[in-house]
Amino acid sequence: MSKVMEPGVQSAAPSGQVGRPVKRLESAAKVTGRAEYIHNLELPGMLRAKVVRSTVAHARIRGIDTSAAKALPGVYDVITAEDILKVIPDPYYGPAFHDQPILAIDKVRHVGEPVAVVLATDVHVADQATDLVEVEYEELEPVFHEVEAYKSQTAIVHDVIRPAGTFADLKSLQPRNKTNVAMEYHLRNGDVDAAFAKADYVFEHTFRSQQVNHLPLEPTVTVAQLTDTGNLLIHTSSQSPSFVRIEVARLLGWPENKVRVRTAYLGGGFGAKLYIKLEALVAALALITQRPVRLSLTMEEQFYTITRHAATVTIRTGVTKDGRIVARDCKTWWNGGAYADIGPRVTQKSGFTAAGPYDIEAVSLDSYAVYTNLPPAGALRGFGIPQLVWAYESQADIIARELGMDPLEFRRKNILRNGRPHATGTILEDAGTVEVLEELARKMNWDQPFDRGSGTIRRGRGIAIGVKAAVSPTTSVAFVNLYSDGSCGVYCGTVDMGQGSDTAMAQIAADVLGLRAEDVRIIHPDTEVTPYDMATLGSRSTFHMGNAVRLAAEDAKQKIVAMCAEQTGFDPAALVVRDGGVATPDGSFFTFGAILAKRHGMQAGNVLGVGSYFPYYEKPNPETGMSEHITPYWMVGGTGVEVEVDMETGKVHITRLVTVGDCGKAINPGIVRRQLSGASFMQMGFTLFEEMVFDEGQVVNASMADYKIPGFWDLPDINEVSIVEVPHRNGPFGAKGIGETGSLGLSPAVANAIYDAIGVRIYETPLTPEKVLKALREKQGQGWEDA
Amino acid sequence: MNAFDLIQPDTLEEALSLLNTDDPLVRPLAGGTALMLMMKSKLYAPERLVSLQRLKPSLDKVKVDEAGRLHLGPLATLRELELSPVVAQFSPVIPKALRTLSNVRVRNVATLGGHLAHGDPHMDLPPILLALDAQVRVSSEAGHRDIPLSEFLTGYYSTALAPGELITEVVVPPLPQGTRGTYVKFTALSADDWPMAGVAAFVRLEDGQISDARVAVSAATERPVRLHEVESFLRGQRPTDEVLHHAGELAGTQIHPLADIRGSSGYKREIVKVCVRRSLQQIAQTDHNGDGGVTQ
Ligand SMILES: Cc1cc2nc3c(=O)[nH]c(=O)nc-3n(C[C@H](O)[C@H](O)[C@H](O)COP(=O)(O)OP(=O)(O)OC[C@H]3O[C@@H](n4cnc5c(N)ncnc54)[C@H](O)[C@@H]3O)c2cc1C
Repeated sequence: MSKVMEPGVQSAAPSGQVGRPVKRLESAAKVTGRAEYIHNLELPGMLRAKVVRSTVAHARIRGIDTSAAKALPGVYDVITAEDILKVIPDPYYGPAFHDQPILAIDKVRHVGEPVAVVLATDVHVADQATDLVEVEYEELEPVFHEVEAYKSQTAIVHDVIRPAGTFADLKSLQPRNKTNVAMEYHLRNGDVDAAFAKADYVFEHTFRSQQVNHLPLEPTVTVAQLTDTGNLLIHTSSQSPSFVRIEVARLLGWPENKVRVRTAYLGGGFGAKLYIKLEALVAALALITQRPVRLSLTMEEQFYTITRHAATVTIRTGVTKDGRIVARDCKTWWNGGAYADIGPRVTQKSGFTAAGPYDIEAVSLDSYAVYTNLPPAGALRGFGIPQLVWAYESQADIIARELGMDPLEFRRKNILRNGRPHATGTILEDAGTVEVLEELARKMNWDQPFDRGSGTIRRGRGIAIGVKAAVSPTTSVAFVNLYSDGSCGVYCGTVDMGQGSDTAMAQIAADVLGLRAEDVRIIHPDTEVTPYDMATLGSRSTFHMGNAVRLAAEDAKQKIVAMCAEQTGFDPAALVVRDGGVATPDGSFFTFGAILAKRHGMQAGNVLGVGSYFPYYEKPNPETGMSEHITPYWMVGGTGVEVEVDMETGKVHITRLVTVGDCGKAINPGIVRRQLSGASFMQMGFTLFEEMVFDEGQVVNASMADYKIPGFWDLPDINEVSIVEVPHRNGPFGAKGIGETGSLGLSPAVANAIYDAIGVRIYETPLTPEKVLKALREKQGQGWEDA
Repeated sequence: MNAFDLIQPDTLEEALSLLNTDDPLVRPLAGGTALMLMMKSKLYAPERLVSLQRLKPSLDKVKVDEAGRLHLGPLATLRELELSPVVAQFSPVIPKALRTLSNVRVRNVATLGGHLAHGDPHMDLPPILLALDAQVRVSSEAGHRDIPLSEFLTGYYSTALAPGELITEVVVPPLPQGTRGTYVKFTALSADDWPMAGVAAFVRLEDGQISDARVAVSAATERPVRLHEVESFLRGQRPTDEVLHHAGELAGTQIHPLADIRGSSGYKREIVKVCVRRSLQQIAQTDHNGDGGVTQ
């Protein structure tokens, strides 16, 4: 069933739309600057907001003096929590916990936390006035590192922990008050002590991942206005409009139908625009002022809004002499920052994958979401998995080398195969673990000799493979509308933030309805128009929304066929849908428009198809953390790299990058390829040099001049992508998500290649030249002193 | 960023008169790439800026005079210098270094004057111009003075410019025949990042012996500096591996690196040693027709 697609080679050209490398539907609009972004939205009478942010990491607020700011000519008003409380009595929001106040109440918990807002029609006036707001703080002991925060009994970020109860899967997870542990997840599978006793060798290592930022090119922006009936209309660069509506309605105590949330194209998201970000604040400001209000973050403010978790992973693995992993015990501390955001879900969803793509007899996993006084951490392309793969795939190489085994052989020996239970108890199904590993081996020519060099430049190669469980449970609903002329609109809440979902959804609907993808119109998320979708996250849309769109298209197809059958007297089963119409056995052909016109006596009417998809799921057992249906599908990604390491500077250059991902079925092979390599490049930045550097909770490099992301010159000399297709029984046309798959293996693959080149192991990302040289010099017994 | 007035004088006289003010926050604005970053982060919040853009036609000349000196107008953009055949002819090291400076969007607007006047030690041209013994002409309503670049760059983000003064020209004396140069740039983060260390070297070899050597370091240090000890050590030597290695080690003892997010002081010292040695090796290895180059 499985197959591998060579780059440049089209898979057997499908007659339908699925599998066609359709060009992105919005490309022309984007390159001509016509694509719609909320960032460009201006409304008459609009006020602009600028946020006054905390300058300290942890403090009680003694007082806020807004008088000087209010007195500045041009300032409309200055808003603090006191004003918010008048319109929203319990103004705490968040997807997992209701712990984040719309504006700080009594206390600040991180540098950059919003404390007040200045409103003016001129954004520069508002900005200037933010400096005039005086906030008096009584500083408290801050805590920054996740392991210290986990242990601390004195620096407590939240006095009371407030779970939201939104997600069924998190309901069993109990917080511990008077600690910084927001949430913990434990998995106990088998007798771990007995299994370790059987092991010939036990390895224990601690790995760390640093805090990094999503940094979408379009920073988060929200505009809110009141409608003629006093309802709220929120235009926002959100990855989750349905969630925003639910959460804003909850905060206001309104029914959902009084809140309308719409979005447009997003200039990138990567998880930075998920759940609820600026929307609650801007909605409150619109209610208070009764005017349209806009808040758009600067690049700098993004660093204080949402980040990726730093994490410490201590991993203990027991192996037999012949290289079988028999036991694993893994503890992970996630640095969640000051507010939980989706951290608890990361803690659980990533937590349970720490056994990796391996078949291990007994597994014990502990995962802790920890509050600290840093900017909040949430979901970022991979949902925490890359931090875990960093640990278990670095360790896999260490073990293999200690045992004198080839790293590939070691993985082959332990790989989890379909039909075998994963550590959670869920049987692996339709997952390309073996296929991805073998394709990686083939692309890397692993069985061939490799020249490691001998001079200043040494060469090495490394591989790594990771597995991610799709988040569950989540729901997607779609409508497919055939208009009176037979043209087609798809109403779906998936947000196209650059990943190409509009094109993929159009292909799916078109395939079912016998249309060309280019002729299908995708209606962008607007809760007044498009039905519910949980969110565009976690590589879930192709699978979940793809299924909903497919079902909706089939529903519409069935209805139009029934209509034609009634009109022609043929059995519906004898009718064939193709080319935007229905062909009958007598050789006649009726366009969808003609069928509708016949029904209504003129060009009129609609055919509406509805599709709703929500996969089966069983939440983990509260005692064991196990479940027979932990996820609807697995994502498997492998990365191989060849590197050059400069022995004199420590600089690592990736000369060849191979990214392999199992997508089930490439709905659009071009997009799949670019998603894989895009994720790989993004992870390359997190691996080699991106890092948020803090000084007492302040981000020292909060700008793109100092926080560097990869540019064209950083790309590997050779970049190869292999698409593996192991179809999933429940996926639309067999497809699974692919958006994060390329992120999974890159970090450990690079570290493994560095080891292969120079015999030095780095345990903490980023793998900067300084870290590499320092480790090398230490090994050579020639460290250096700071000047 | 706060609101400000932008005054756009048409002549140098007008500009100098507008800059002759009691308001210490008034500054000239050239490409604005450095000023805008400071204004956005509110490190600097002026109420008035004097734009130099309209002076560009008279202050962006690039030419070589009869005496072989290179004259560079302060309003020439970095991109213009990069593409100028005159500059390439004078020293190919300059355009090669510019090609690695940030990105073309920055180079299209950033000017030579702003590049030097900002006093930022992380810039790419100062070490090259320092090694080339460049002079900076600064003008004010009181007249003008010529300052060697080595004295112009006084410290971390500080220069010899007095309030009311503008850079009006940069002059580089001709290079003695047979001098070859290079610029070695080391970035610790992305490839288009600011250098963590930059080393410019120019060496003249006569009969296999070093008759002249000039080595300048930037970015790792508080300000770009010439390494005079290294230069005098090299003079009269043959460029053997041992000599060049020693030159690198010596360079390490001559500098006071500053730690920042791009590297600790100890690491920067190690990198400067390597970059100095490599710059000299490159020059020694280029044949006589070669022009050195820039390596990263
Ligand atoms: C994203 C980014 C990355 C960069 N990366 C690099 C890099 O890798 N390497 C590198 O070398 N540089 C880099 N630069 C810096 C760039 O070289 C400088 O910003 C630029 O040269 C400054 O020139 P400007 O004309 O824009 O100066 P402006 O911003 O206009 O002015 C800078 C300062 O000089 C003063 N000034 C300007 N002209 C004159 C004059 N004629 N006389 C007296 N004072 C004057 C101004 O008042 C101000 O104080 C980068 C810049 C950016 C924005």
